[in-house]
Amino acid sequence: MNEFIEQFIIECRDYIEQATSALQTLENYPDDAEALDALFRALHTLKGGAGIVDFAAMERALHAAESALGHARAGDRNVSTKLNADLLACLDLVVRWLDEMERTGELPERSDAQAEVLLHRLSEVARDAATAQHAAGRLSPAQGWLEGVLANHQDVGAYAQTAIRFIPKRDSFLRGEDPIALMGALPGLLALDLQPDGEWPALDVLDPYECILILLALTSASTRDVSTYLKNHVDECEIIELDSAAVTNVPGELPQSARDILEAQTALLNDVADEAFAGTITSVGMAAANVLVYCGHNSAAERITYASSQSLAEGTTRYLQEQLVQALRNPIVAEVSQSLPAAPARADIFARTLRVDAERVETLVRLIGEMTVVKNAIGHVVNLAHSEANPLATILKGHHGVLDRITGDVQRTVLGMRVLPLRTVLGRFGPVIRDMSANLGKPVKLAIEGDETEADKAIVEMLFEPLLHIVRNAMDHGIESPAIRALDNKPATASIVIRASRQSDRVFIEVSDDGGGINVARIREVALERGVVSSERLAELSEAEIIDLIFAPGFSTAAQVTELSGRGVGMDAVRMAVGRMGGMVAIESQSGQGTTVRFSLPFSVMMTHVMTVEAGGQTFGIPIDAVIETIRVPVNTIAEVGSAQVIVHRNRTLPVFDLTSLLQVQSLPGDDSEAVIVVAAFAGQWGGIRVERAGERMEVMLKPLEGLLSSIPGVTGTTIMGDGQVLLVLDLGEILL
Amino acid sequence: MTIQLSTNGNIELVGSCTVDDAEFLLQALLTNPGITVDWSACESAHGAVIQVLLVAKTRPFGKPVDTFLRDKVGPWLGVAM
Repeated sequence: MNEFIEQFIIECRDYIEQATSALQTLENYPDDAEALDALFRALHTLKGGAGIVDFAAMERALHAAESALGHARAGDRNVSTKLNADLLACLDLVVRWLDEMERTGELPERSDAQAEVLLHRLSEVARDAATAQHAAGRLSPAQGWLEGVLANHQDVGAYAQTAIRFIPKRDSFLRGEDPIALMGALPGLLALDLQPDGEWPALDVLDPYECILILLALTSASTRDVSTYLKNHVDECEIIELDSAAVTNVPGELPQSARDILEAQTALLNDVADEAFAGTITSVGMAAANVLVYCGHNSAAERITYASSQSLAEGTTRYLQEQLVQALRNPIVAEVSQSLPAAPARADIFARTLRVDAERVETLVRLIGEMTVVKNAIGHVVNLAHSEANPLATILKGHHGVLDRITGDVQRTVLGMRVLPLRTVLGRFGPVIRDMSANLGKPVKLAIEGDETEADKAIVEMLFEPLLHIVRNAMDHGIESPAIRALDNKPATASIVIRASRQSDRVFIEVSDDGGGINVARIREVALERGVVSSERLAELSEAEIIDLIFAPGFSTAAQVTELSGRGVGMDAVRMAVGRMGGMVAIESQSGQGTTVRFSLPFSVMMTHVMTVEAGGQTFGIPIDAVIETIRVPVNTIAEVGSAQVIVHRNRTLPVFDLTSLLQVQSLPGDDSEAVIVVAAFAGQWGGIRVERAGERMEVMLKPLEGLLSSIPGVTGTTIMGDGQVLLVLDLGEILL
Repeated sequence: MTIQLSTNGNIELVGSCTVDDAEFLLQALLTNPGITVDWSACESAHGAVIQVLLVAKTRPFGKPVDTFLRDKVGPWLGVAM
């Protein structure tokens, strides 16, 4: 089974357990707010997970469960016995789906039909709750909006199946959303009203980045289709199913004559000659859409029309064929008589999979890090024994060799436990791009290659935000609108490719788009405007270097900075985040052809807290675990004892090691009257390390020294700091022992 | 630039106007009270740009290329369909 699905199943079972336990609490205490919130969170997370693996039926079922619960939450915060039973039924159904997925490794076959039965049950609950709220006068104040929008659009009102009131969040522009485009792409849009949330302000006090709009719409699509389309904006909109009397044709089961026509049209697509391709697709699409409109299935007809344009654009019959098959299915009728079983059939998956708290694996990684340091210290002892011609030296050396090999194996195994396939992060981009594509009105096809490539969990987890930023940039700025693409003879559907691969100990990830490329002149202008670079320096830069300026601090605008959920991520932050993991990011762009952003990252990493110190003007790291304190002492308190130096500190005599002479670096002239000493302990041995300056503490990804580098004395690993500098992390064992 | 001051004294919306253009449009409208907006070359406009036009109560002239702008948004800006 695909690891992504495997992970999804494991996580879902956890959330189902949480939701079931919350429901049990609510059964006894129906107004327990904490249990209600926990249940809501669990359902929401399950829904999100279903979206990520593209399990539409599960997503719909959980969305309905969430909405039904939302009504209860907005009302008297009381979960009725019926709602409780229906939610349990929903969770049971999900458990059965998960069991089936575990057996077959595929999404369950009849899930669509089963979800319909459940949706029917849950929508009744939601309707009852809404009616109750309405009667109690609790529904939002804008009761009159529906009458208003129907009165404004009497010409199309008769065709409308669904009315929507959408109040976007005030910061939606800043979050990269376009509510007007979102409503513009609403399936079956018949009419749109644009109103202010309150009064229109005066122009001179308008904040152009604050959204103050209310959008009202009428569509011929079903409430279900609209809910699916607006699933990411549930809390911003009200969706009302209009009285069926207002609809010209009430959709029902397709009559046999209509099915015959649709089947005949489907058959036509089985063998289409190249020269007749466009004609056949167009005529089949039109015929099928007409039949469906005649039977009152307006939204299905729209899907057919859209699918035929997709088929035409991409030169394949697949999209149209899929929609025809969909239209021929009649899931509600087929499944309505089936009842859901009372108890969930739980498979015993725990026997096969051992779930370990990530924290424990982290502890293991930390311990292995310490073990490596001890192993290196023993190596030092072996060398000492050898140089003193100790008779035990040869035996010690042999054992040290074995210890070295085993420690290496253990380290690789433990790091391997933290390895995840990149699909766990890349898989999230499908839904993200679909939503952005709908929001921006730019059709985009995403291709993901090499998502089975593995990397350390820490790397995989940090990748989402930087990649999301790159993808957003591609969608917002790189990819042109379909109209412009048409002018440039490009296919209407743009393409984004995310490609991952591993070469030796590096993991490479590329994000390419076939958009308009980076406008170098604009970069030049912006860089000058924001003082990122001087005009003299700019004149010396090559085109590639100018493009690279987008990674410079201060280049991103405030609007861009707040785009990513207000996390303050600009391209400079992308480079810094990748740099912190020991990675690099580069960009390549060709005007009119597109842009490629390349990430190169290490395969394995270890997280360590270090304190930076300076010696000879260079910065080094000391593992913070070993540091006891940092002190300043007058230089004359450092006493010479033979060839060594000592100080007395807290009634303890400590040997003092001067880092500049230990590392054989040139000391810088500075304050000679005082010495900065880092007091550290290692394996019970205390000592002072004299440095020129003590710096900050930071958490870094420590990369163990490998190959020839592993023989550098006194250094345990390296890391790359935010500014791109390499930091050598010292091995205190070798220094102090 | 997708929003520009033309030589004949209009503000022109050209191509795809993004969220970043809203600020520029707002400033252009504030510094040139009563100026006319020409959106005939507009291929798409971000909601923030449309919001500025709505607040300014300015009636753009010309027919934009995009039918959604023309048919669904235009009437709210006082443009006859």
